[in-house]
Amino acid sequence: MKFLFDLMDKHVAPLFEKGGKFEKLYPLFEAGDTFTRTPSDVTPGAPHVRDSIDQKRLMVFVVYALLPCLFLGIWNAGHLFNINNQVEGATFLTDMVRGSTMVLPIVMVSYMVGGFWEVLFAIVRKHEINEGFLVTGMLFPLVLPPTLPLWQVAIGISFGIVIGKEIFGGVGYNILNPALTGRAFLFFAYPAQISGDKVWVGTAKTAMDNTFFGTVAENIDGVTMATPLAVAAAAEKGTDAIAALGDAGFSLWNMTMGNIPGCIGSTSVIAIVLGMVFLLITGIASWRVMASGIIGCIAMGALFNALPLDNAFASLPFVYHLVMGGFLFGIVFMATDPVSCSATHTGKWIYGFMIGALTVLIRVANPAYPEGAMLAILFMNVMAPLIDHFVVQAHIKKRNSYARALNNA
Amino acid sequence: MKPSEEPVLAEFKIKKGFDVKVTGKPDPTIEDYASPQLFAVYPSEFEGLKPRLKVKAGDRVKRGDILFENKKNEKMLFRSPCGGTIQAINLGARRFPVEILIERAAEEESVTFEAYTRDSVGQLSREQVADHLLNTGLWPLIKQRPFNKIADPEATPKAIFINAASSAPFQADFSLVLKGDEEAFQTGINALAKLTEGKVHLCKSAGADIPDFGNTESHTFSGKHPSGTTSVHINRINPILPHDTVYTIAAQDVILIGKLLNTGELPRTKVVALGGPAVKESSRKYYRVPLGASLVPLFEQSFDGDEVRVILGNVLWGDQVKTDTCVLYYGSEFFVLEEDRSRHLMGWTMPGLFQYSSHRVNLSSLMGLTHRWKLGTSLHGSHRAMVVTGWMDRHQPLNIMTDYLIRAALAHDTDEMVQLGILETAPEDFALAAFVDPHKTDVCTIIKQGLQEIEEEGI
Repeated sequence: MKFLFDLMDKHVAPLFEKGGKFEKLYPLFEAGDTFTRTPSDVTPGAPHVRDSIDQKRLMVFVVYALLPCLFLGIWNAGHLFNINNQVEGATFLTDMVRGSTMVLPIVMVSYMVGGFWEVLFAIVRKHEINEGFLVTGMLFPLVLPPTLPLWQVAIGISFGIVIGKEIFGGVGYNILNPALTGRAFLFFAYPAQISGDKVWVGTAKTAMDNTFFGTVAENIDGVTMATPLAVAAAAEKGTDAIAALGDAGFSLWNMTMGNIPGCIGSTSVIAIVLGMVFLLITGIASWRVMASGIIGCIAMGALFNALPLDNAFASLPFVYHLVMGGFLFGIVFMATDPVSCSATHTGKWIYGFMIGALTVLIRVANPAYPEGAMLAILFMNVMAPLIDHFVVQAHIKKRNSYARALNNA
Repeated sequence: MKPSEEPVLAEFKIKKGFDVKVTGKPDPTIEDYASPQLFAVYPSEFEGLKPRLKVKAGDRVKRGDILFENKKNEKMLFRSPCGGTIQAINLGARRFPVEILIERAAEEESVTFEAYTRDSVGQLSREQVADHLLNTGLWPLIKQRPFNKIADPEATPKAIFINAASSAPFQADFSLVLKGDEEAFQTGINALAKLTEGKVHLCKSAGADIPDFGNTESHTFSGKHPSGTTSVHINRINPILPHDTVYTIAAQDVILIGKLLNTGELPRTKVVALGGPAVKESSRKYYRVPLGASLVPLFEQSFDGDEVRVILGNVLWGDQVKTDTCVLYYGSEFFVLEEDRSRHLMGWTMPGLFQYSSHRVNLSSLMGLTHRWKLGTSLHGSHRAMVVTGWMDRHQPLNIMTDYLIRAALAHDTDEMVQLGILETAPEDFALAAFVDPHKTDVCTIIKQGLQEIEEEGI
């Protein structure tokens, strides 16, 4: 090992440093180099010691928190495929293998295409590659249905990284969550494959065919299934939304488990909660955003329950809003993105609450967009700086009166 | 309410804060240090100073002779800490005299000034006290807020804050320094009291064995670091409003002023604490050192490690000084730690048991309660764009929004900086923010530049 590192330091590193042959590619070398070993930099001045964590560690730990969602997503994709195609003798193992062939290509495309943009911008701008991309590259595939054609994955992540992040200046400067920006782009550009009532297809062909050759779901002889949100939104006036969900095969239990059609990572409440617990224990993500988001969702759901509306979706108990669709995934992993969320404590409470409330409002009041969480988070991303502005102004007022009170005492 | 005659006692509990657990605490014993003949004065220590030299290499000087004066205020003089021959004047960039080396003579003569008692100081006017301190070269010990610079003698401070508290590793314990110099301390306080129409606040750490002194209001501060910083004291006792000025001074420097007044000669010694992981255990203690004397013999036998960094001050806030430094004008402690350029395999995923952290992302944070760490200077990462997360505010007891203040400073938005309270602060108040920041932002420098910008533009 030491021999290899010495070789790197003596012979490889000079090639990339200033005046070296591959000087331009320095960010790429730096990323690889510091990925294998922490950098040797020392503190430039006071404070002369620093905490041992860095951006790399934080971001990688968020990816760890996403792993339960990925594993359950893989299993779920394979499982549903095998059921819909009536594959005989399907076991957990065959489910996983089948699911991997469907999901992993999407993850790989997301990382490769997204990584290409990240590296390109780092080289052009001459800054280091930011690890925030590791999270974006994993978040994005997890909010896609497993049947999405790979070219759409590539376009979506490109849009998310370039328009959602890089044109603002990279991680730390962006207004919107890049992964959600990419998804929103796909949502509006290619609605058929990502939402609505044709989202989830277990095809008669293999998933490999489906994904690699970009065959659009409805063109082939497959089984289409609506997501719970689409079912609930389509429930007739005066009918019982729970019954409608039940008829379509959705119960509170299987929506919690996650063995239902939906996006790869966001169907299983159990997997999301595992990730959430990990994020809360390590203290990476804001518990304020999560708590206020869930409170907002419950409050708005309960309000709709209480109102005498002639809307089946409105009468759906609020618990369903928590487990259906992408809300929980969104509030745990997307809304807590430290760059695009509110930065002040008070701001975080308002921001989270509004995401929860808006999600339910969009779902119930606007049946055209059954998935309210994505739009709610993006909208509140835009609003976050405004919320913070008012919180900061209030703080300035408070501190002035504090100082004056003590001076007059 | 009638003002009471008794000294007022106030206790403040600081709730937010963080103690960096590092090894190398100095033993509470004072050793006399026999210095070599080499002495030095560093004009570069005084920020914003434009020195005009009054001596040249080869000149013979007495103890207390003028070495240089401040071009910006010609009353402000700087005097020699020893009698002997000017050995060399080393110039830096733009011919700025970085250091003046003096070889002490075997028999040194001293310049004498007028001597006072603790009571006769009280008869002086404000102008007399200020002029005396300016003339004897001790005025620059007094600093001022806002801007944390050498106090403006013309200002009318609304209060004076004496900092006798300590909370960072390892600030000198003033109760130890004070022993035997109570008389000089009181004289110094009486002189300072002439400089303000307001109060003189004496701020101590809770539990420190420091008696109350006349002419002051005593306050005790308890809690984790930064409960011992002047900014926290000011914020809790008498916050700075725009256009206010307060004077601040370290407690040991008050003793120096008192000794000058009592003896009529420049003070000879002060006490410094030597601590930190790179100091040998037998050398971790307090030393009574002559002002300006070379510390080479002491440092040579005290350090443990190949490449060490010597900090004048504590581990969180202080300037790096040379390993062959002489005793400086400011500061009561040296902290020494190893330059840590080691690289760790895949630091982004290891459990983090052996790396000190205040965040729960590292398992080691669970050991943070009792374990003391042998810390080095590793940055543990590389710089990334700052993200406003509110994390940097986690250990900030001052009533400021740390993240936003830093952002305003980065954006050169002087109005917002002032509104958010930068005038109350000094760069040292951001040391913990920089410590915890995973993006490795150089926060203290950003704030320092922000303060400079405001000073240049005017409030």
